[in-house]
Amino acid sequence: MAWDFGLSKEEEAYRQQVAEFLDRELTEEIARQSWEDLGLGKEGRAFARKLWESGLLGWSWPEEYGGRGMPPIYDFILLDELGKRWSAHVPNDVGYTMTGHTILRRGSEEMKKEFLPRIIRGEIEFGLGYTEPEAGSDLARLKMYAEEDGDYYVINGQKTFNTECHYSEYHWLCCLTDKTVSPYKGMTLFIVDMNAPGITIRPMTTMSGEQTNEIFYDDVRVHKSRIVGEKNKGFYHMMEALGSERNYVFVPSRYRPYLEMLIDYAKNTMYEDKPLAENPMVRDKIAQIAVEVETAQLLADHARWMEWNQMTMTCEPEITKVVVSELEQKMVDSAMQILDLYCQLEEGSKYAPCGGRIEWEFLHSFMTTIGAGTSEVGRNVIAQRGLGLPRG
Amino acid sequence: MDFTYTEEQRMMKDAAHGFLGKVCPNVEWYLEMDKDEKGYTDELWQGMAELGWMGIAFPEEYGGIGGDFLDLIVLLEEMGYKAVPGPFLSSVILGGYTILEAGSEDQKQEFLAKISTGELVMTMALTEPGTTRFDPFLIETEAKENGDGYIINGTKLFVSDANVSDYMIVAARTVGNKLSRDGITLFIVDSKSAGIEMSLLKTVAGDKQCEVVFNDVKIPKANVLGKINEGAAVIEKTLQKAAVGKSAEMLGGCHRVMEISVAYAKERVQFGKPIGMFQAIQHHCANMKMATEQSIFITYKAAWMIANDMEEAPKFAAVAKTWVSDAYKKVALIGHQIFGGTGYIIEHEMPIYSRRAKAGEYAFGNPNYQRDLIATRIGL
Repeated sequence: MAWDFGLSKEEEAYRQQVAEFLDRELTEEIARQSWEDLGLGKEGRAFARKLWESGLLGWSWPEEYGGRGMPPIYDFILLDELGKRWSAHVPNDVGYTMTGHTILRRGSEEMKKEFLPRIIRGEIEFGLGYTEPEAGSDLARLKMYAEEDGDYYVINGQKTFNTECHYSEYHWLCCLTDKTVSPYKGMTLFIVDMNAPGITIRPMTTMSGEQTNEIFYDDVRVHKSRIVGEKNKGFYHMMEALGSERNYVFVPSRYRPYLEMLIDYAKNTMYEDKPLAENPMVRDKIAQIAVEVETAQLLADHARWMEWNQMTMTCEPEITKVVVSELEQKMVDSAMQILDLYCQLEEGSKYAPCGGRIEWEFLHSFMTTIGAGTSEVGRNVIAQRGLGLPRG
Repeated sequence: MDFTYTEEQRMMKDAAHGFLGKVCPNVEWYLEMDKDEKGYTDELWQGMAELGWMGIAFPEEYGGIGGDFLDLIVLLEEMGYKAVPGPFLSSVILGGYTILEAGSEDQKQEFLAKISTGELVMTMALTEPGTTRFDPFLIETEAKENGDGYIINGTKLFVSDANVSDYMIVAARTVGNKLSRDGITLFIVDSKSAGIEMSLLKTVAGDKQCEVVFNDVKIPKANVLGKINEGAAVIEKTLQKAAVGKSAEMLGGCHRVMEISVAYAKERVQFGKPIGMFQAIQHHCANMKMATEQSIFITYKAAWMIANDMEEAPKFAAVAKTWVSDAYKKVALIGHQIFGGTGYIIEHEMPIYSRRAKAGEYAFGNPNYQRDLIATRIGL
């Protein structure tokens, strides 16, 4: 035991292996699917297969399902290296970093055998099915209902902001199975085939061009064996997964390429015959971005370290989430002030600096403090679970 | 990766917590120390010396305990938590570490042993009235060769703890113009030397920062510290350690402010419930927690890099000083907001911390200064 912020020899060796592979194989086309949240397209699937075949996927998963039985830090190293190259997550993001862990923790042996090997190989993806029109920050307002019918459940209702569903194989669905108790005690998690009869997907386009979806269930029949964990324990299964999910999803290294891009821009852009890099305002703003990227990275490192050492996390991943999402907005604002008028120009526009990346990130950054829980709910969690303040 | 103290550090931290709680008993005591010319008690200084704190980071061959910079940071964090007054950081980092870095074998033997036992107090004199902001390399104080020694003339400002020091490390110009990094030489100067005049500056935190005037002060050649004309690089290294040391103190302050503010939010009842039940207060508290968490990790990472002499240590020292300065200022402000009028009263604990947060922010380079260093380090 002693303060140590470095990687072990073995971890560093894996990092280098990943870095070499990504430098060779990660094209802009593939990275773009990730940074623009375009989803798991053809290129992404091919890339996931290559990652698997090169022996770089799945190190942190149990051997019996195709992994290598190593601690979670290996997956975090993979995510960090992807993030440094404009690609903040593995192609099958939701399966690999979110639902897979819950299946591992709560799923039946049969379910584990069916899903985990394919998740670990990067072959299948899930769409999260939590939010409903009436249930945003407050999941207790869930209405979607699954009615028992022999060995099946018949599900009816509507979901919204279910982002991955237009390309994923499965829907990770949370709905009510008991309406007579508090909603927290009546929720169940199901895995539903995305192409099951009765499911309708209607696209919604966000301001940054990303597609999310409304999903309608009309008498969709799902077999009992597709319940994840226990019936009516869905809420608790989701909550226990939340911290870990935040550790995997909020990857501060994804801001490093922006920082590098801005440094490059400041060095190579002249104003009054001097590079912007000599301008005190520009230096100050870019340095502050560097400060915040470093401190955010440490929050992530710490929360992840707690996770792989099986320590109880109260609010640490939540802190990472709130900090990282707000960092993105501050970073974009600083970058736009540096680019000045030109910050408005979209990718493809003749004079667009930095490939229009900042303009796109500006549009995207509105989502970060809302998606996966708003900053306000996040601060409530930090105050109540982290500091023990009473619930209002 | 590991985010834990060593067993020894944990024990030391607990011991420090207990000891400092006793010798810095209450707000009245701090107010007395503010007014007192010396600014700390013998009980405090002797106690720290007996616990071996001043020598914690120095090699045993020079009378130290043989720990490292991280051990020192653990202590400074606890000192910041208790807002401990006195010349500890000045003596150990500005004095001791500079001698460890640049001193001759004789100088190390002579000074480090005495610093380690607390019988000798040192500081460093850098800033001058010729600049209107922190610039440790704008040096007009002159050292002229004279026979077998030097004669120093000039004025230094914001010299921490000069009033209680036995020796000062003085940066003086031996060649070059006032802005040149080359030509700065460090001297170990007896604070009682003829020709030195000192006066305490009245500061927001009531800490002991001095004006020191040198009028034809004679220094023997043996008291040159490090290479002639090459003092700037030594100063830079010392300032990195001082910045991280100050960050550790400020981090400790963040912890204390958060602790008392959150406790108060739980017990103070308004509108029929504890104010900590209101989201406005909860979000303030969450902001304190987030700022403090980042302060912990960036301080210890910078210290870890210094302790291991890593290439990126200078950058991380500046990142730490930037982040923690801003964080402490923010945390202190939130603390006042939660305590309301109560915290505005001079006998309350809050003003001790908010005033120190301001002093800390400006010590060894404020965030603007540090960000400029970072900009250079990242290639701008």
